[in-house]
Amino acid sequence: MSLKISNVSKMYGANIALSNVFIEIKDGEFVCILGPSGCGKTTLLRLVGGFERPSQGLIYSGDTLYSSPDRCVPVERRNLGMVFQSFALWPNMTVRQHAEFPLLQKKYAGIDASKKKSLISQTLESVGLSALANRYPDELSGGQKQRVALARAIITKPQILLMDEPLSALDAELKISMRKEIQDIHRMTGATILYVTHDQSEALAMADRIMIMRNGEVEQAGTPEEIYLHPRTPFAASFVGKYNLLRGIWDHDLFYEESSNLCFQGQMIEPELKKMGLFPVRPDEFQIQKHGNGIPAKIKNRQYCGREIHYSVESSGRLITVYAPVRESYKLNESIVLIKKDGMN
Amino acid sequence: MKKRNLIVEAIACAVVIFLFLAPLCRLVLMSFTQGSGFGAANYAKLFQEPRTLRAIGNTIVIALAATVLSTVLGTLFAFLIAYLNIKRKKLLELLVLAPFIIPSYVITISWTSTFSRNGVMNRLMHLFHLPAVNLYSIGGIIFILGICNIPLVYLTTVNMLRKIPRDLEWAARASGCSRWGTLLRIDLVQAAPAIIGGSVLAFLACIDNFAVPAFLGIPASVPVLSTYIYEKAIGFGPESFALASALSVVLGIVAVSGSLGISSFARKSKKGDSIRADFSERVFLSRRTRRWVEWGGIAVFSVLDLVPLLTMTAASFQNLYGQRFSLKNLSLENYQFLFTNRGVMNAVSNSLFLSLITCAVCILVGTAAAYAKSHGTGPAVRLLESCASLTYAIPGIVLALSMIFHWSVIPGVYGSIRILIIAYVTRYLILQIKGSSAAMLSIHPSLEEAAHVSGSGRIRMWKKILTPLLFRQTISSSLLIFVSSLTEMTLSSILAAAGTKTIGLSVFNFQQSGDYNIAYAFSVLIVILILCGYTLVQFVCREPSKNRDSAHQRSAGALRPHQSELSHKMEGTIS
Repeated sequence: MSLKISNVSKMYGANIALSNVFIEIKDGEFVCILGPSGCGKTTLLRLVGGFERPSQGLIYSGDTLYSSPDRCVPVERRNLGMVFQSFALWPNMTVRQHAEFPLLQKKYAGIDASKKKSLISQTLESVGLSALANRYPDELSGGQKQRVALARAIITKPQILLMDEPLSALDAELKISMRKEIQDIHRMTGATILYVTHDQSEALAMADRIMIMRNGEVEQAGTPEEIYLHPRTPFAASFVGKYNLLRGIWDHDLFYEESSNLCFQGQMIEPELKKMGLFPVRPDEFQIQKHGNGIPAKIKNRQYCGREIHYSVESSGRLITVYAPVRESYKLNESIVLIKKDGMN
Repeated sequence: MKKRNLIVEAIACAVVIFLFLAPLCRLVLMSFTQGSGFGAANYAKLFQEPRTLRAIGNTIVIALAATVLSTVLGTLFAFLIAYLNIKRKKLLELLVLAPFIIPSYVITISWTSTFSRNGVMNRLMHLFHLPAVNLYSIGGIIFILGICNIPLVYLTTVNMLRKIPRDLEWAARASGCSRWGTLLRIDLVQAAPAIIGGSVLAFLACIDNFAVPAFLGIPASVPVLSTYIYEKAIGFGPESFALASALSVVLGIVAVSGSLGISSFARKSKKGDSIRADFSERVFLSRRTRRWVEWGGIAVFSVLDLVPLLTMTAASFQNLYGQRFSLKNLSLENYQFLFTNRGVMNAVSNSLFLSLITCAVCILVGTAAAYAKSHGTGPAVRLLESCASLTYAIPGIVLALSMIFHWSVIPGVYGSIRILIIAYVTRYLILQIKGSSAAMLSIHPSLEEAAHVSGSGRIRMWKKILTPLLFRQTISSSLLIFVSSLTEMTLSSILAAAGTKTIGLSVFNFQQSGDYNIAYAFSVLIVILILCGYTLVQFVCREPSKNRDSAHQRSAGALRPHQSELSHKMEGTIS
């Protein structure tokens, strides 16, 4: 089901949690809401879920009005599934009972028991929990718990799936493998997914579209490639691509860096950044050399990461991050120059 | 372990056994004593008496019915206060918890003043052609006990309800369950262990209670086990003590097995403990409904708490009992009597002395025990803790009886105020051990180590680090001990001698001898005393407010002292 969030604002007293958020989500699209904690992303999800009412604006699902400041379709009638960061499993129910719970509602009273039973085992199978059907939540690992929550959310084949940082409570390795499962579920159910996260790699990996939020406002919305390669705001640039923002003066498509007066080509840079006199460079777009025609800098910190080395270098009082291949090694406090690689932009 | 430590441990264990276990053992022995030999004849004789069976039957019926009443009201108000978006929650909570601070005999007396034969309520009932209410009956006992134990159920339940994560509700809502369905199928089910635990506590409190059946049941000759034991114990006769102890063993077994029942139950549902309580509102009522619920709740509890207290206060200013309240009969006679009567003043000073001494001993021993416990030393502390829990879990009347048997052997204790001190400490020590342990838990061992590393000796560490950190929590948990021993009635009704009457016992005597108006006046004084005590402790233990945040927390936790005490009280019963 398509979703339309139209100029939605949410106030808590005098605090503005969301201001004027607008986005249209197509049927079956996987949209990530990405932002640091406190940016309003969870509030937005709760508004879509119907747990709270917007202070302003409207939320539509297809042609149905779901939320407005004075009308709010109750959660249970929105035909959605939800997955929580905390898993939100009921400690007194087994895995099977969790999957069964949504089917106990009046709506499904007409379906006969054997059909329900096969639906339950099918769903548990699809998340790989068939063997654990009779376990209680405290007998499951974190990944298994989140699979139970997924099974519960998808069993009624809802048209909208809301996911509130579902992977944050899992350890690093499990996060990566669960990404695949969530993508599989997206393909299998064809549901519209609204996925909240603060982890940019998760958003880049899974989403059809990313919406970056900050202080209750949308910073930028677009496909992962757009967001990663063409950030439109300093925040989007540094939050997702870890861009360094060089300062300088723009002359049409030419950028003159302020400390070295080097000139960079920048046809692809977004006009918003140009207006601010900024030039975004990703850490992997720099190359470190001992001498040459580049931005003079000094190595301040290095972290060996196996595949590459992450350097923090200081250039005229500002820190710049550079990822360099392992074969080039520089010492602390060594004076170097930064040269921008060609061909990326 | 060093040899010296071993000896210390052994001595400590022996002392604990002598003080806490030996009296109970002597009681059990006594119950099997007949003439010069041993046997179960006491029990056989007891169960042949129809009055015993009636007492057992009454106890069970009263306890069950009162438990149902307090469970229903306690759960309902816990739900209202934890989840609804009503305002004036603090006022409502204060009203719900009031019966917890006010001793049950004061509540009983205040209700008897409201429903006295010519009292306000009965005249009102007459006006509506309803039959007059007689509180001196099984129904009356059930009603008063039910009111007294509402806070027990309320507090266990309200904390549990707040600890149920909202995600659990939301997950159910997203699965298509309606709001009220969610409350029923998710919240109620999750809170069930707490509700059951609270109602078992209420049940045990009903069995334990002596004051209410003594005030209402003895005049109406409705025996329950606790008053029956009392009658047997103070009655003369060759076998009366043996019979009383046999009855006590029966009652003690019921109470202890009940406590063990909850503790195993509590252990099973321990999981929720680390979850933080969530104070936000979950169910939103419309403005109109909200007002109704708000004022309805306040009205219910005003009727339950305030109206009887007010009628009692009004009656205490009347010089004639049972008259219609009028300004003509207004007099300070009753108060004048209280302040000039030597017996009364003596009782007040006895009770104050007793409660101060009990508090002091409990704070010293309890904090030392908690410290030893947190540092994992020998078995003596653990023995002390379980024995002290036992003496708290058994009904007061049973403990009192065992104290007589045990301490009458040692000269100079029984008949003096010493036996009361010993009895009170035995009874209430566990509350302080629990309170101080909780306070200790909040102090990380590293704080102590840091003090040692920075060169502090043991004494300086206690003075500079531990005492200031433990002070507030320790004092606020000893408040419960102070108030309980100040208004104690069960133990003193059996253990006090002529010169060592306590406040509770004096009120009991006034009521028994028909000096109702004096009993009212005395009860009013007790309520004032308690309120002063609470205000004082609130003042001493107020949290230093550094910024608006902590000020906010304080306002939310204005009632926290007695909440935490209650949880100690419950843990005391449980473990």
